[in-house]
This record gives sequence, C-alpha cells and structure tokens, in this order.
Amino acid sequence: MPPLLSLLVLTVSIAACSVEQTLPPPHCEQAGSGLIVAQSVPDAELVPCVGPLPAGWEIDGVRIDDGGTRLRFDSDRAGDDAAVLHFTRTCDRGDAVTVPSDRAGAERFESIERLVPGFRADRYYAFEGGCVRWRFDFDDGAPAGLSVELGSALVLLSRDDVNEILRETFIDEEL
Amino acid sequence: MAVAWLAAFIVWAVIWVWVFLADEPAIWITERDLELMRPIVENRRGWLTPPMEWANRIGSDWAVPIVGWSAVVIGLATKRIRHVLLLIASLATVAAISTIVGAEIMRPRPLGFTQIGEWEGFSQPSRPVALLTAGLVAALLTTTPTGRPRRIGIALIVGLLVVFGFAQLYVGVDHPTDVLAGVNVGVAVTLLLYRLVAPEAVFPIHYRGGNTAHLDVTGRRGEAIRRALHDQLGVAVADIEPVGLEGSAGSTPLKITRSDGTALFAKLYARSHLRSDRSYKLGRTLLYGRLEDEQHFTSVRRLIQHEDYMLRVMAAAGIEAMSPLGIVEITPEHEYLLVTEFLDGAVEIDQAEMTEELIDASLQAVCALWTAGLAHRDIKPANVMVRGSEVHLIDVAFGQVRPSPWRQAVDLANMMLVLALTSSPETVYERARRYFSEDEIAEAFAASRGVTLPSQLRGDVRRDGRELVERFRSLAPERSPVAIQRWTVRRLALTLWVAFVAAALAAVFLGNVGDIGLL
Repeated sequence: MPPLLSLLVLTVSIAACSVEQTLPPPHCEQAGSGLIVAQSVPDAELVPCVGPLPAGWEIDGVRIDDGGTRLRFDSDRAGDDAAVLHFTRTCDRGDAVTVPSDRAGAERFESIERLVPGFRADRYYAFEGGCVRWRFDFDDGAPAGLSVELGSALVLLSRDDVNEILRETFIDEEL
Repeated sequence: MAVAWLAAFIVWAVIWVWVFLADEPAIWITERDLELMRPIVENRRGWLTPPMEWANRIGSDWAVPIVGWSAVVIGLATKRIRHVLLLIASLATVAAISTIVGAEIMRPRPLGFTQIGEWEGFSQPSRPVALLTAGLVAALLTTTPTGRPRRIGIALIVGLLVVFGFAQLYVGVDHPTDVLAGVNVGVAVTLLLYRLVAPEAVFPIHYRGGNTAHLDVTGRRGEAIRRALHDQLGVAVADIEPVGLEGSAGSTPLKITRSDGTALFAKLYARSHLRSDRSYKLGRTLLYGRLEDEQHFTSVRRLIQHEDYMLRVMAAAGIEAMSPLGIVEITPEHEYLLVTEFLDGAVEIDQAEMTEELIDASLQAVCALWTAGLAHRDIKPANVMVRGSEVHLIDVAFGQVRPSPWRQAVDLANMMLVLALTSSPETVYERARRYFSEDEIAEAFAASRGVTLPSQLRGDVRRDGRELVERFRSLAPERSPVAIQRWTVRRLALTLWVAFVAAALAAVFLGNVGDIGLL
C-alpha cells in the first residue's frame, strides 16, 4: 500500500478513539471527569459518580458535554448497551411511579415496560436542578436483578462533596 | 526542515503534558488562566454575548465541515489527491492527539464561571480550536498558491482563530492556554504532515494549468540544477525554464539556456514521477489487464536510465529522436536530469504545414521502429517534432524493445491518426500503403481504440469530429477487432485487493468522519 494511504488509514484509525471512547468514567474519590460531569449540569445539587462495578459489567462509552452526561454499560449476561445512565437538567418521567428512594436527597421513580423475555425499564432519581435516568434494555433471558446490582454502583455526591474533592486534589476553587 | 518541526513538536508536547500532569505547575497555570479570563467572563455584555455564542457554535460545529469539504472538493477538482488525503490525515491526527492528551490531563472547564457555550469532554487542549486550526491550515495548503494569496490566507486564518479563541474564553468553555495549545497542535501537526508528504518544492499549488506533478525549478532546486549541470556536464547555465508542460505528464521538461546562448533540453525526474508511473501502470492493469510489460520502475535512477537507453537504441537504429548528452544527478536516488540536444526551430507536428513528404517521413519513422524491433508507445502530436523535413520522435520513456506485434500495430495507428488530424485520412492511408501492407494497416486499426491512444491524441481525435478511426477502418480491409481486455488470475486478485483496500479505507473514514470534525 502506498505510504500516504497507509498514513491515512493509520491516522483515521487512531481517530477512532473518539472523545466518547476515551473519556474516563467519573470515579467517586477523584476529581477527574467527575468535575466536568458536575459542570455538564451546573445547577444540579447532586452529581452522579460510579463506584466499583458488579462482576460482568463494564463501561463502554462516556459522553460529557454542555447538555449533560451519558454512560453506556455492557454486560456479559445482559448484552451490549444493556444499561445507559443519563444525567440531565430534567427528565420526562412519563407514567413512572414513585417508589421509596435509596438515595438521600433524591426522589425515585420506576417505569417497568416488561420483565420477560428481556427486562426493559426506566429508573429515575430526581433532585434539585438535575435528574439521573437509568435505561435498562437487557437481552432475552437476562435476569432483572442485574439492574439492582448495577444500580448499587451509582453514587450521588452532593455538589459540596465535589467541591471538597476539587479543593483537596486540585485547586482552591469552586465549580 | 520537517525533522526540525517534528522534533520541536515532540519537545513541546512532552513538556506540555508533563507540566499538566505535575500538580504544582498545573495549579499555577490554571490560576493564571482563571485570572486572565476573569475580566472577560465577568464583563459579558448583552450586545456581545449573542455573536460570541454564535462564533462558539459555528466554530465548533460548522466551520470545519464547511472549510474541510470545500478544500476537498477543490483538491479533487484540481487533481490534488495527495493534498486531499493529507487534509483528512491532518484532521484525524489532530483529533486523536487532542482526545488522547485531553483524557490524560483531565482538565475541567474553567472553574467558577458559568459556561454559556457548547463544549464536550476535557478542555486541554481545546479540541474545537485544534480541529479548526488544522482544517484552516490544511485547506490553505491544499488550495492556495504561495506568495500573496498564501499570505492573505494566513492573515485570514489568524483573524478567524483570534475571534474563535476569544469566543471560547468569553463563553467560558476554554482557558487561554487551552486555546493556545489547540492552535499549537493544529498548526504543528498539519504543517509537519504537509512538509513531510507534500513539500511545496515538489508539489506546488498553482492554477495555471498543466500537470500537478510538474516540479518547481526555481529556488533551491533551480540552484541545485545549475550547480549539478556545471559540475557533472560542464554546462554553464544562464536560464532554466519549463517547456511543453501540457504535453508531458510523467516528468518536468525544461529548456536550459547556456551562457553562450545555445539551448539544451532536459527532463527532470523525481520520486513523485516514480509514484505516478506506478499508479498509472496499476490503473492500466486494473482497467485493461497487463497489456504489455507494464512493470513499474523501482527507482528514479532506473526510470531515467531506461529513457537514456531508449534514446541511444533509437539513435543506433537510425530513428531521429534527440541525442542524449548525459544524466545529471541532482539528489541521489531522488532527482535526476536527462539532458539532450534541444531541437531548435522544431515545432510539434500539428503546428507544421502538412505535406506528403512530411507524411512519408513520419511513416518511415514508424517503419524504422518496426524494422529495429522497437515500439515508441506514446505517439501523439506533442511527441512528433518537425524541423525542416526531419521528423523527430521525442519522449521515448515508454519505449520498448521487442514489443508484441499488437504494440507495434498501435504505434502505426497512432501515427496515422496524428497525421490525419491536419490532413485527410484518405491521403494518409494512400501514403501508408507505400510502406505497410493493407493487412498491416487493417490490423493497426483493429487493435486501436480509446485505451490505446495517448490522452492528448484521444482528445484531439474527439475534438476533430471526423470519426478518424472509423474512417481508417472503412478504408482498410475488414478485420475483426483485436481483443485488448486480458483477464488473468493476477489481475483478478489485484482488482479484489484494491477493492478491499478502498472499501476498508472508506469504512474507516465514514466511521470516523464525525470524530475528525468533518460532520
């Protein structure tokens, strides 16, 4: 192959590592991408981060921009993109029903579309200035309980906590 | 020069990343950045905010696709495929560097300010600024000639980047050093790639027609040619000027005026011509099969040796060509000059008054080729020169020893077509019967079709409008067309391979067109 074509293929292939594929997920004890997650929804009182993932789950893509944050999760049992987490200013909760919340400072809503053959549901955490939405769409046969496992990895930090991490790990400023 | 750019860029990148990965310097720079942009962000004005938001949006979303695709279209229209590929490679490389370095440094958007513009991911280096810079610089290097147009283009780019960079600060999405780093990455990578792969001296941008592979013989190359001619052939050069560029696609033909006023002819060959030769032969093999011994040359030295050899063989066979005077080495293995006599007072055959004597002399030249077991393989008006009653066959680069009868027949057909352009097919046919049998003429036109005609001759025949090939066929005895499509396993495999590479390249490009800013 001519050198110029080789160069083109090489560079375009390298570019395949898009922003979404190279952004690290927001960890709960480091500044890192957690800061820009907080900046993506600047009025939100709570900011999502991800703790240790349950076995079989991995993060496939992270998109953080001025419209919010989106994390895509793959599972060895529930399939690719089996769960997507959206962090935005507001959520259109549709006919989701209120359920007891397991996160302080946030209301929780659930909307289960189906349990079989593949679990499909939305879960919302609504709070002042922001909203986190889980979208689960599992492959056939994957147990719905996987959503509970994965959901436990989500941590909602207060904006004050994020500012504290910022001061401790980087600079004496606020978001 | 390109190596110096590469070294400078690597040094800059290492220092930059190290600074941002170390806590103390990163904090210090961030504090200075925030101090610098505070007066800008805290003094946002109602009348200025909408245009700044617009500039942020246009610069991030629209400018690169508009500039990039415009340059691609212009580049393709002017057959600068190399420059177009480099534009895409520059954007891809800049996108990759910005993304990877950004993910390592992990710098947040400016802290303490409300962001009112579009952004994505980390801020250092500014990805939209880097992509816009790369797109603008690549578009400039792809479409704009050096000199005043290039200087105006640079001024415009600087102006656009200043506006866009300020808008990024105003809307609070980038720090000042993010913008500077983005400009640095965009300029450095793009300039480096263009200088390495399409240096201006070898691939100049111009719009005065002719072939894009023609080399600029002014400046340092001009000086090198003068020095080499003096040192290797003892020729004192007064002037060098390109000549007959429109008829030559595989080299840069030159007229060299000596200090005593006499002239020499020279053909400059470089690696770009070697690549052209390779692409040309690959294209012919794909389209028509391997018609003849179409192996490409593996070095510039061999390419020029072949032409020098063909000139000498033709001269020995009594064919009027151009007397070779020697090969001059400009840059070892890269650039060589083949120097011959200059046919002073000669004109291309379509500029000469066509007489029966001239037709005879031209046909005799083909006859001599047949007798000596040679083929010229590029007979067209630009390569048949007339001086007085002499006919000279020039540009023997495609010449071949012991060609197939088919190839020799094509030489005859092409010469008859050249002659008929300024006379009549009937006259040429009648004169040709003096030297060739009717069967031989019939075979020549049975073998002749679009692909066998050099492009200049093909264009002239089309513009002539007299259906010359058909007219000659009707004059000659009937003969079945000679098949020129040759299917072999090798051709089939090569076609599949090229199709696979093209498809893979297209898939990679289309899959990433958004990531490199072109969508």
